Amino acid sequence: MSSAISIETLSMEFGPGMKALDEVSLEIRDNEFFTLLGPSGCGKTTLLRLIAGFEQPSAGVIRLYGEPMQDLPPFRRPVNTVFQSYALFPHMTVAQNIGFGLEMQGKPKAEIAATVERMLALVKLPDVGGRRADQLSGGQQQRIALARALASRPKVLLLDESLSALDMKLRKEMQIELKRLQAETGITFIFVTHDQEEALTMSDRIAVMSKGRILQVGTPSEIYENPANRTVADFIGETNFLEAQAIGEQLQLADGQTLPSHCSAQGAVTLAIRPERVALSESGNLAGEVEEVVYIGTDTLYLLRVAGQSGFRVREQNGCGVRPLLQRGAPVRLEVPAAAIRVLSE
Amino acid sequence: MSTPRQLAERRQLLRRLGLIAPGMAMLAVFLVAPLAIMLLVSFLQPGEYGGVKWGEYSAEAYISFFYERDFDDNLVFNTDYLGIFQRSFWLAVATTVGCLLIGFPTALYLALQSEKKRNLLLFLVTVPFWTNLLVRVYAWMLLLRNGGLVDGALGVFGVPEGSVGLLYSSGAVMIGLLYSFLPFMVLPIYTSLEKLDWRLVEAAFDLGANRWQALKRVILPLALPGMLAGATLVFIPALGNYIIPELLGGGKALMIGNLVQLQFGSGHNWPLGAALAFSLFSLVLLALLFNGLRQRGQEVRA
Repeated sequence: MSSAISIETLSMEFGPGMKALDEVSLEIRDNEFFTLLGPSGCGKTTLLRLIAGFEQPSAGVIRLYGEPMQDLPPFRRPVNTVFQSYALFPHMTVAQNIGFGLEMQGKPKAEIAATVERMLALVKLPDVGGRRADQLSGGQQQRIALARALASRPKVLLLDESLSALDMKLRKEMQIELKRLQAETGITFIFVTHDQEEALTMSDRIAVMSKGRILQVGTPSEIYENPANRTVADFIGETNFLEAQAIGEQLQLADGQTLPSHCSAQGAVTLAIRPERVALSESGNLAGEVEEVVYIGTDTLYLLRVAGQSGFRVREQNGCGVRPLLQRGAPVRLEVPAAAIRVLSE
Repeated sequence: MSTPRQLAERRQLLRRLGLIAPGMAMLAVFLVAPLAIMLLVSFLQPGEYGGVKWGEYSAEAYISFFYERDFDDNLVFNTDYLGIFQRSFWLAVATTVGCLLIGFPTALYLALQSEKKRNLLLFLVTVPFWTNLLVRVYAWMLLLRNGGLVDGALGVFGVPEGSVGLLYSSGAVMIGLLYSFLPFMVLPIYTSLEKLDWRLVEAAFDLGANRWQALKRVILPLALPGMLAGATLVFIPALGNYIIPELLGGGKALMIGNLVQLQFGSGHNWPLGAALAFSLFSLVLLALLFNGLRQRGQEVRA
């Protein structure tokens, strides 16, 4: 697979000592749904704006299909953006909005009209071409913004938190819609979000960012199953952290309890354990005490005190005929299989 | 017998009338009544030494727009007044266009500055209002007169002193109008540009528009309400302006305002003055009506 975008040691400073991006290097493959994921202020939007050309990097190279881009103004880059606020032109009709990019390229009117029709059909809004952008609902505006960005067939589509303004139901719909559009158009999508669930659902690969750096790049399952460090593990999904000493094949917790290890690390380590990978069981290998019980329909969430640490989360699915909910303060045993433990040594 | 419902409705109506009464009264006393008096005066006979002869009606004032009476009391076509109307109109149009050409880039520059610098610059735009207009126009007289600063500067380039004759010309009036009304153009345009969502401009760049295309297709259309407001604020007072043509035009470049003043003053022809003022008023009203209809048309189309 060839690389669509290749970024080499890209840095961005907004002032002395204010680094928005710190020597970021990244390869984004052709025809990939790639997500930049991170908390607000992590530099993901800055990276997107650098690719689009709205900001100038302090240092580094951005290549698009091999060609250096960092010195080109935004209107010379074969890259289009779907803005968080959609940024539809309020004084134009929907059709004029979608045709704007093609018009700027000097395409003949008939061709523009045909493309606009095709784009409206693609985003499943065939009858709104004559309306003004502000007469559409949020979800419709979102689709029109997509159609506008796709109309001039960019090589790469940038999506800046594009779903965050939508309500939950619409957002789920658009997630599926985006995947479909990406498959149908074959265009590389770079999606920026702070919503880890959204990133996991939609992406081929994810780059997790924090404080201007990329912490880990990988497929959703790689990132979820094998987080590179504590920050990634903490940001993606729910994770329990336990401090331990790795001694030989054993992981010794603060209160002397031990867990099996499958990793060669020695000395002080942090154990990352997903709440849904452990189970409450009378024959469990770890003792704890119930602090809180939260019933949430499909699941019940238990907060336990384990090895002197409070807030250890255990998620149990509610089946039929399960035992009654445990009471606060009850002693419990936990089954923690070796495969559920991720040993982070940092 | 009224039902309780009818009573309630009547009370509501009374309350509404009571609420709008002060506003209506003010409009009646300060707007409708003076206009009615002016209309009445325009159809009366002039008094010997100013004033009017009440009760003696005549359309003479309006007729004398176009005709004057020769010695034999025949009506002869006369374009003097029409010429002054025409000059006023074109000077006002030129002032409006000039203000747009200078005002838009200025407002755009203002809107693109950082907030702190912007406030300072806005403050500077309004500084001229602190000085009386008369003083500022006299300053222009000093600048434009023969041997004045501008004349002297032209002299440096080999233009003989006094040969251009800047002061007391339509050009001088035009400069004066442009200078005094420019802030009225800059401020409304700035207001509409300040509200402009600059992400739209980014979106235009993103879709392949260069700077010029982004200006033409996105910034200008969105600044149009401000430009229309500014044009109205400049055109109307420029059309009826009195003091600037009086001082900078020096009787050679009269505008309607001067003509009106002349009739009420040394001309001793109040009806003609009133008729002229009323014609100006109708002209402005027509322009506003046209503007309003155009806007409504746009809304309907949208």
